[in-house]
Amino acid sequence: MTAMSYNVNGKTYQFDADPGMPLLWVIRDIIGLTGTKYGCGVEICKACTVWIDGSPEKSCDMNASEGVGRKITTIEGLSATPVGVRLQKAFIDCQAPQCGYCQSGMLMAAAKFVTSNSKPTDSQIDSALGNICACGTYPRVKQAIKSATGQPT
Amino acid sequence: MSKRTETKAGTVSRRAFLGGGATVVAMFALDAAPGSKMARAIAASLPADTAGGAVNGWILINADNSVSIAFGGAEMGQGILTGLAQAAAEELMVAWSQVRTQVAPTSQSYITGGSFGIRANFQKMRIAGAQARGVLLAAAAATWGVDASACTVSDGVITNAVTSATLTYAQVAKSAAALTPPAAPTLTDASKFRMVGRSMARLDLPSKVDGSAVFGIDVRVPGMLYAAVKNCPTIGGTLARTPATPSGVIAVVPLGNAVAVVASNTWAAFKAASSLSVAWTIPTAAAQLTTSTISSQAQTLMATGTAGSPAAERVGDAPGAYGAATTRIESTYQLPYLPHVCMEVLNCTASVTPTSCEVWVPTQAASWVQATAMAITGLPAAAVTVHPTLLGGGLGRKIEQDYVSQAISVSKAVGKPVKLTWRREEDLSHDQYRPMGLVRVRLGADSGGRLTSIATRTVAPSPLAQRGWMAPTGNDNVEGAEGLPYAAANRLVEYVKHPAAVPVGFWRSVGNSINCFAVESALDELAVALKQDPLAYRRSLLAGDPRTLAVLDRAAADIGWSTVPAKGVARGIALSNGFGSIVALAVEVSQPTVGVMKVNRVACAVDCGLAVNPGQVESQMQGGIIQGIGTAFWGQTTFSKGVASSRNFSNTRMLLMKETPSITVSILQSGLESLGGIGEVAVPPTAPALANAWFKLTGTRMRSLPFFPGANRMDD
Repeated sequence: MTAMSYNVNGKTYQFDADPGMPLLWVIRDIIGLTGTKYGCGVEICKACTVWIDGSPEKSCDMNASEGVGRKITTIEGLSATPVGVRLQKAFIDCQAPQCGYCQSGMLMAAAKFVTSNSKPTDSQIDSALGNICACGTYPRVKQAIKSATGQPT
Repeated sequence: MSKRTETKAGTVSRRAFLGGGATVVAMFALDAAPGSKMARAIAASLPADTAGGAVNGWILINADNSVSIAFGGAEMGQGILTGLAQAAAEELMVAWSQVRTQVAPTSQSYITGGSFGIRANFQKMRIAGAQARGVLLAAAAATWGVDASACTVSDGVITNAVTSATLTYAQVAKSAAALTPPAAPTLTDASKFRMVGRSMARLDLPSKVDGSAVFGIDVRVPGMLYAAVKNCPTIGGTLARTPATPSGVIAVVPLGNAVAVVASNTWAAFKAASSLSVAWTIPTAAAQLTTSTISSQAQTLMATGTAGSPAAERVGDAPGAYGAATTRIESTYQLPYLPHVCMEVLNCTASVTPTSCEVWVPTQAASWVQATAMAITGLPAAAVTVHPTLLGGGLGRKIEQDYVSQAISVSKAVGKPVKLTWRREEDLSHDQYRPMGLVRVRLGADSGGRLTSIATRTVAPSPLAQRGWMAPTGNDNVEGAEGLPYAAANRLVEYVKHPAAVPVGFWRSVGNSINCFAVESALDELAVALKQDPLAYRRSLLAGDPRTLAVLDRAAADIGWSTVPAKGVARGIALSNGFGSIVALAVEVSQPTVGVMKVNRVACAVDCGLAVNPGQVESQMQGGIIQGIGTAFWGQTTFSKGVASSRNFSNTRMLLMKETPSITVSILQSGLESLGGIGEVAVPPTAPALANAWFKLTGTRMRSLPFFPGANRMDD
């Protein structure tokens, strides 16, 4: 066990953890922010996507020690960003989520993507969002991203 | 519910639904059964949670004049939380912005499956809303000393038509709660609906875009420990002895066919469980549970097995008519075991004490969870409280009790609250799979091409038989084969039970997912043999069923069936009529590289009677089609000596956004009387529509699912 300090959504958290514990489980079990989801643990489904220093990363693929000294943003912090608010509103306007389980990861990926691509095409959205959604919300997620970027849906 | 559950459960399940801070002024406990005169006012909370209790409270009026509508089902993405609230709110005559929802007690819960959520509860919720409106109006009228007929209501505000005075629902709720509700209230005529039939915004979505939604896996109970399981890798195997507790682990709990590891966080439990060395006792019968063996047993049963008697459907003399037919098609279709693949892995949180048991769980069957807890703890129903959470997908898997009983047993063993979570690898390799199936279809047509006989023979393991609920006809196993809309004077639907001991369960659309593929593929083969267009041929068989014909025609029109497709593109069509609804799919596919299918476009038409929330009907169609494509392409679990092949997404490929075609959905509405289910119905016609289009494109008939078993890998 190692004493660590995290900055998550602008707040500081101090705790002891096994440095090998994936960041995902630090966020969920130790810090207690459960919006970030476990889906596979092997870096495929992307349900666990968070921002590390502003870049979307799969939190199941990072060790606890790698989160130290970084600026971590989770779904719970998304509404503090203008782009996040825009995306959240578009996801609701388009009624995108079904079960909702993968949507935290979808939103974290989408919000970062539209920051660097203000008018994405369909194929750019397809390439950017490799998140697995078993409910099949893809058409509406795509619609929401286009809506959030002021494009006709 | 006890005070304790208010504070503990409130932190996890209720707050997520209520958005916090709802103050209950009064609650109408309404017996929704017409004719009942029971009405009770219960302040401050939902009624005590007694199994099978008579209290039937659905509507709460809050201090801020919002209304909380109790929800007794499972919200797993299909939107019934919202759809049923629409039914009650319609009759209650409140604005949608006033509507909240609240988890109903277990006694009011219902099993969520079979696409019955709306069908079974829509009318009940309308009556509950109308009864509440009735007493609220009566209370206001009494306050003013006028007849209720002199009062009108809009958005939860009652107006005295004579004096123009107003009272809110909240202002009269307490006195209203003491009144007897009308036993058979007048319901709004369907032509006057202002909320039902519209795409009202889902009540659960705000919590699903900011991380606040509480799924089972998110439950946190003070003082809880974390458990992970290692299920015996081999079906039927049991623990030979309890392994020693590794260092860093709090406890190891034997569970018969599994072992649980309890630790201080999920990851520590996962790590310990996956590295735990366990001795299992493997039954010799497990050696038979190999896919090739199961398949050859199915072939033998197809040839010589005894079908259940009586047959599920027997009209005329199908074998005789087949023998006399001018054109005959006999084709056999093979389908694999399928995992459910809910995005939220199985999990359950339990807190067992000598006198109580609380369970927080993503479940499709809260009352079964209660029964499971009673069986394990020996406690009476009154001592068991179930807190159903949102489900990160259910698909039929979360009706089962395996993960529930594990969590309760572990909490009982360690004497502390425990959240038990299955690693994805456990979730996929210890599913209760959609059964494999072997289906033979024999179709006979006369010299004029008219279908004279249709005979299906389905060989498959039975989820019902494994539970001892089996009728000889085959029950769920013949869905999608019996009651077909096509005109044929001679029909025979047979089922032969396959005894394989692979655990099987209810997978989205159940038997329809198997038989629809066979029937709709075979019809296509017959149309080809008769040199007829597959759409035109189906149309000729549906002359007596205008409702089904309209759905088929709509899908065909939407894909542009009468036009010539682009070069390198071919179309296919298929029809399904399960769960009281009718769905037709027309698809366009192409072959970008040899042997690779690309789905370019899907046109879906559906008639579910009345679309309570058309936006959600569209979502369910899109989602079912997307699941249908992914599973048709790659979905399967194979077995080797009782060990399942599925591990993680690495070998369980899911359709991604970039592979998703354009999907249009047209909703036809034949009326409230024909209210049908919607959650499962888009899955069955997807695979045959694709196979039919692929044949048109390539001349190769796909009679075995999945189409591309070798392409099932995904990586990061």
